[in-house]
Amino acid sequence: MGDRPSDGPGQTAKVARRTARSRLALFGVPIALAAMTILAAVTIPGFLSPANLTTILLHVSINAVLALGMTFVIVTAGIDLSVGSIVALCGVLAAKTLTSATLLGAVGPLGAAALAVAVGFGVGAGVGALNGSAVAYLRVAPFIVTLATMTIARGTARLVTGGVPVGYPDPGAPAYEAKVAALDVLHGLGGGRITLPGLPGGFPVPALVMLAVVAAGAFVLTRTRFGRYVYAVGGNEEASRLSGVPVPHVKLAVYAISGACAGLAAVLLLGQLRSGGPDAGTFYELNAIAAAVIGGTSLLGGTGSAWGTLVGALLLGVLNNALDLLGVQAFWQEIAKGGIILLAVLFDVWVTRTSAAAATKR
Amino acid sequence: MPLLSLRDITKRYPGVAALDAVSLDVEAGMVHALVGENGAGKSTLLKILAGAERADSGVIELSGETLHLTTPRDALRRGVTVIYQEFALVPSLGADANIFLGMEPMRAGLLDGAAARRDAGRALTELGAAFDPSTPVTLLSTAERQLVELARALVRDARVIALDEPTAALSSRETAHLFVQVRRMAERGLGVIFVSHRLEEVRALSSRITILRDGRRVWTGGTAGIDDATLIRHMVGRDVEYERLSRGPDDRSKPEAAGDTISDEVLQVRGLTRRPRFEDVSFALRRGEIVGLAGLVGAGRTEMARCLAGVDPWEDGEVLLHGRPFRPLSPGDAIARGVAYLPEDRKTQGLVLGISVRENTTLPVLRRFVRRGALDFAAERRAAAEYLGYVGLAAATLERPAATLSGGNQQKVVLAKWLLANADVLIVDEPTRGVDVGAKVDIHRHLRGLADKGKAVLVISSELPEVLALSDRLIVLREGRVSATFDAADATPERVLAAALPGGRAA
Repeated sequence: MGDRPSDGPGQTAKVARRTARSRLALFGVPIALAAMTILAAVTIPGFLSPANLTTILLHVSINAVLALGMTFVIVTAGIDLSVGSIVALCGVLAAKTLTSATLLGAVGPLGAAALAVAVGFGVGAGVGALNGSAVAYLRVAPFIVTLATMTIARGTARLVTGGVPVGYPDPGAPAYEAKVAALDVLHGLGGGRITLPGLPGGFPVPALVMLAVVAAGAFVLTRTRFGRYVYAVGGNEEASRLSGVPVPHVKLAVYAISGACAGLAAVLLLGQLRSGGPDAGTFYELNAIAAAVIGGTSLLGGTGSAWGTLVGALLLGVLNNALDLLGVQAFWQEIAKGGIILLAVLFDVWVTRTSAAAATKR
Repeated sequence: MPLLSLRDITKRYPGVAALDAVSLDVEAGMVHALVGENGAGKSTLLKILAGAERADSGVIELSGETLHLTTPRDALRRGVTVIYQEFALVPSLGADANIFLGMEPMRAGLLDGAAARRDAGRALTELGAAFDPSTPVTLLSTAERQLVELARALVRDARVIALDEPTAALSSRETAHLFVQVRRMAERGLGVIFVSHRLEEVRALSSRITILRDGRRVWTGGTAGIDDATLIRHMVGRDVEYERLSRGPDDRSKPEAAGDTISDEVLQVRGLTRRPRFEDVSFALRRGEIVGLAGLVGAGRTEMARCLAGVDPWEDGEVLLHGRPFRPLSPGDAIARGVAYLPEDRKTQGLVLGISVRENTTLPVLRRFVRRGALDFAAERRAAAEYLGYVGLAAATLERPAATLSGGNQQKVVLAKWLLANADVLIVDEPTRGVDVGAKVDIHRHLRGLADKGKAVLVISSELPEVLALSDRLIVLREGRVSATFDAADATPERVLAAALPGGRAA
């Protein structure tokens, strides 16, 4: 019996697209990243300096952490629009924890910093789990659920802060020194650098956090049962359910992971800026989606990878940095970023068309 | 001169000749059947006729005029309509909007909804449809959707209609109605191409038959001039008949290993009810036995199977598994307790097409391959390879996306998946739908092999010869209730069909 595909044209094309997607994630985007890096290195003096390269990593780290969580969600064919607002909410709550005079008095700056991290992480995961419950058990469309959460979280962040950032205390405020000390502790996480021999300025700590998060994400997606379920649910929810995959649990978990990543990003941002603002994180969700999609995650679900997403985030970071160094106006940078996203998708369509036959006739 | 003439149509895909100089003439007022195994080239031929694919070479003539079809729109405009098995309808739009899609009646630059509704209604009435023309297609049954497709052809003044497996999901009654409509269309002078796996339907409807095999035309002639055996031999290039695998009570009473006897009732179903789908269904499954569940589409067979598999809850009644109460909370729960369900549609329910054959095979039992939190790929690959090999799939297919396999091989993957799950009770729903004859025979043997290993197997099939060939016992559902049970020896197609057909009405 032959192995000719007997599927409908739609199915075959969909799968061909997925196959091409994964190939794009494997080769296309890293090549584009390398090309862009080389181009920038040749044309922009100072681009290749260790100081600049570590700056890129520092700037990329928050988006990469968000995009990693987003990858889990998008692979299940979902979307999480709330991460930017979750960053704001977790940021202000963590900042309030960090700068609470009573808490500082009780547990000291180090303890307050640890609690702030826990609050950021926990609130993020909690809000994500709420998203996930609505998607998994109430069966509301992810776009709608997370759109609602996006607004609610943003509103809550403004409500608890009265609309003003929480952070660096005025000199003479109660427990001024303890607050500064606590902010300094967190700054070590969000903006600190560890010294490495031969690397002047050191390596940014948030970039280390990012690498750890991406490595953990890659492990979970490729090597664990849960990861396999994430791909299966995104590829065919009904077949997965009939195969005994606990589909609602998987969905709940991916949104909780995305929320937790947003909470972690909030803590990094708070440390970096020494302040948590209710207006922080605006449009972060779109940057995270962009990184995941450029990195080969299909919005149709079923494909994507953690490393691909990291490469997608790096590509956006290199682009921003190069345009900055060239002195390109910020407005033009936005237009360029949109162009890159469009190019990535067009390239994908092109790869799909040329490899569709080969992918199904192997 | 024939109405439609396809001459020497050749289509190559990289590495395969899907069609090799195939010719086909369709006369006005005639139904021409196109038969062949999966992959014989029928679908490709229809796609070329529909303008969805372009032939590498060959000529299409309609009334002696050469057609250059580059898009589906061209084909429709020239009066060629192809109705695919999966339909080309927009579910959220009304039947009328679908019927006029792409050629909407306009008035003063705006859509003329009233005209569309009126004309669509007229065409549907002519086809014997009894629903409001503005009903959204998503609310229509398969048979009704088919009528929408036919109405679409009518309002477009189609001259040739090609139907791809139109009866695959229809009940006998719906099929009969469809045939009446198709005959009427032929009487009006249309040329009809009818693609089907069901030979009795081919005989009932067509006056000529063309047989394709491996992209070549192997036979064309009058329907009356060929018997089934010859037809099948041409299709498969060998003689195939369903091997009768049923066992009489004598064979079944032979003692089994470890003191177990075949009469052990693994699953007892008592008064199972989920209105309005099925009511008061009772039966038992024994070790080592294949029980067939026959009935028309819509008789409640799949709905009942889904309840047993933990997909849907039931209202009333009880189920005992190994003598203990069984009420699965989810498919995962049912699988964990030894009840597996092989769903009727492998593409939407049976497989995750985008992931590999290996990943599909191990999905229900992935837990087994977890070592210290991570998946043990080597163990997973070994297990998948073993069971895929057992159902006759080469190791080379292991890492291929499931979508790239033929229908028959996909079904074998689904089978391997549930063999690996090692359930005590296996419920298989339409195990060979859309699968070619050779693969069907293989799948039948594997099901029998499972029973021989002491499993209890429940087979749901709309293909009567299949249930008869496989089952040791037969249960017939009619309108949600058990209407008869037979032992293999007593079951004849006539008796089973009589029990399945709604009471009092003739076939």
